[in-house]
Amino acid sequence: MRLHDKLLGLLCAGLGVLLFALTLNFPALPGQKVGPSLFPRLIGIGLVLCGLVIAWQARHRPGPWAVVSDSLRGRGAAGFAVMLGAVLLYLLSAERVGFIPAATVVVALVALWLGVRAWQAWALGVGSALVLQWFFGTLMRVPLPRGWFMQLLFGG
Amino acid sequence: MSAVIAAFGLVFDPYVLLVVVLSAVFGLFVGAIPGLTATMATALLVPVTFFMPPVAALGAIVAATTMAIFAGDIPGAMLRMPGTPASAAYVDESYAMARKGQLELNLGANLVFSVLGGLVGVVCLIAFAPLLAEAALNFSSFEYFWLACLGLSCATLISSGPKVRALVSLLIGLGVGTVGIDPVAGHPRFTFGSVDLMSGISMIPTMIGAFALSELLRSAGTPGATGALVQEKVGALFTGMAGVMRQYWRNFLRGSVVGTAIGALPGAGADIAAWVSYAMARRFSKQPEKFGTGHVEGVVESTSSNNAALGGAWIPALVFGIPGDSITAIVIGVLYMKGMNPGPTVFLQNPQFIYAVFIIFILANLLMLPLGWAAIKSAGRILRAPKPMLLPVILLFCIVGSFAITNSPYGIWVMLVFGVLGWVMEEHGIPVAPLVLGIVLGELLEQSFLTSLIKADGSLLAFFTRPIAGVLGAATLVVWGWMAWSALRPAAPATPAARP
Repeated sequence: MRLHDKLLGLLCAGLGVLLFALTLNFPALPGQKVGPSLFPRLIGIGLVLCGLVIAWQARHRPGPWAVVSDSLRGRGAAGFAVMLGAVLLYLLSAERVGFIPAATVVVALVALWLGVRAWQAWALGVGSALVLQWFFGTLMRVPLPRGWFMQLLFGG
Repeated sequence: MSAVIAAFGLVFDPYVLLVVVLSAVFGLFVGAIPGLTATMATALLVPVTFFMPPVAALGAIVAATTMAIFAGDIPGAMLRMPGTPASAAYVDESYAMARKGQLELNLGANLVFSVLGGLVGVVCLIAFAPLLAEAALNFSSFEYFWLACLGLSCATLISSGPKVRALVSLLIGLGVGTVGIDPVAGHPRFTFGSVDLMSGISMIPTMIGAFALSELLRSAGTPGATGALVQEKVGALFTGMAGVMRQYWRNFLRGSVVGTAIGALPGAGADIAAWVSYAMARRFSKQPEKFGTGHVEGVVESTSSNNAALGGAWIPALVFGIPGDSITAIVIGVLYMKGMNPGPTVFLQNPQFIYAVFIIFILANLLMLPLGWAAIKSAGRILRAPKPMLLPVILLFCIVGSFAITNSPYGIWVMLVFGVLGWVMEEHGIPVAPLVLGIVLGELLEQSFLTSLIKADGSLLAFFTRPIAGVLGAATLVVWGWMAWSALRPAAPATPAARP
């Protein structure tokens, strides 16, 4: 999705206004003219100005408010959704089921989508999950989610 | 002198050397695969370096990036697909040479002049960084404020596409940098009650998202089939190199010096250096009509330039904590993680680490000769690496890497949000690099600005009263004036931004 520059500019300006508004309840620094709100407010003002410049420059440019961009045509949109969905799937499932099963499914699903044969995709999933579990979990002692999978294997 | 000896001891440790060699191989592989960039290689390396001692961590990044920038030339010549954006400037020239049967000459020149250009960049880094650091010891918050301003303004000015979009990217980055406890009053800002947000938006997951995940989101629809290689086997690479050197030594020197200077400019990296040097080679050539038809002159100048830019980019990063390009923006994050806060004092407090970085830079450039030779010889196999099998593994690496930095799903959420944001921004022609520079430099900018304002009791004139601050301030105002002029000019519709 690609927005027309008029809309993009207005969105930038809106973001600036929001940033400014969120600083209104910041406390002042006692005895000083400056405080925690000054810098974010300057950024907000900058965003408003930039947004207005973008919208102003595009004021005579014809075209719809939004168009489907090239990268989302054909398989692009589905590919985008698969990648995004894979990360979300990991986030929602890893704590419960554990790192190895969640990582296996994420890798296999993305590989299947990209056209890898089923057995290769699942082998890739299992292999990469085990290697990363060994490297990060065992070697680097990163507390990767254990979930029921590790509890089943090692108890606790 | 004892620091130099200590640095040699730190570098020539078997563990560090192994890390450097493995990272070099990793960099060669990532650089040679079209679509995977040197910045992405760095972002993916950071979670691993998190667990290493400082010298090994910095060695890994230096080796991987040095190799990746060179390796991008290989698919450029053999497939007409630049492995990294730094090779894009002369990809047509390289491919034209390959089509004329000069693949060996092209790849040989790319390898040899990448090594030599890289070494010139390192020599400049070794010569200028300590001198600048000595001068920077006298800097106060006023000078740091203007340096940060000048750095961020140059990054915006130099970026491709309309400057106002780069400015939006920068402002969003600065805005993101304000999340968390404010550096002067200690008040929590934009945290919405979240404990994770109190310590700010985690920098490394942000970069993994903006540089790696956004790229994966883009390539998921069309992972891209590898085209036919122009030539299966590569012959002798070094034949004729002495002749090329004799004929084009001026191009090599000019490319290396210009590359180093552009690398040292905040925000401009190896890709811009290569474009500028290619254009200069054509402008000053005695045979400009040969450019584009498979002529080695432009290749020599621009391939020297992009590798020299890497060393140059470390000068402001080490001396002032101001990144020279998107790779050093990540490096600054690593330096902070390792307790080596960049700035002139690091040259006093930890000189052995700085010398170790210099030694590793030289080592990595020398290693490029044999490893690069091997990579070119096995290019057929590397270039056939199936992207549909690589992309899911890279995605998993992004997830685990982001988790490893925060030890919680918060890192993954940050990566996801910035991956989507990076994708949306590039769809709208808004470059991502200024966003990252804004996040990295936001705290320095705000802290030096507020401290200076408090010192000066709110007077803006005090920002110009110290001599160096005055010069830096005037230079910044000139850059701002230029930007305002170019922003208010009628602009053509934006094209999607160049990738980092």
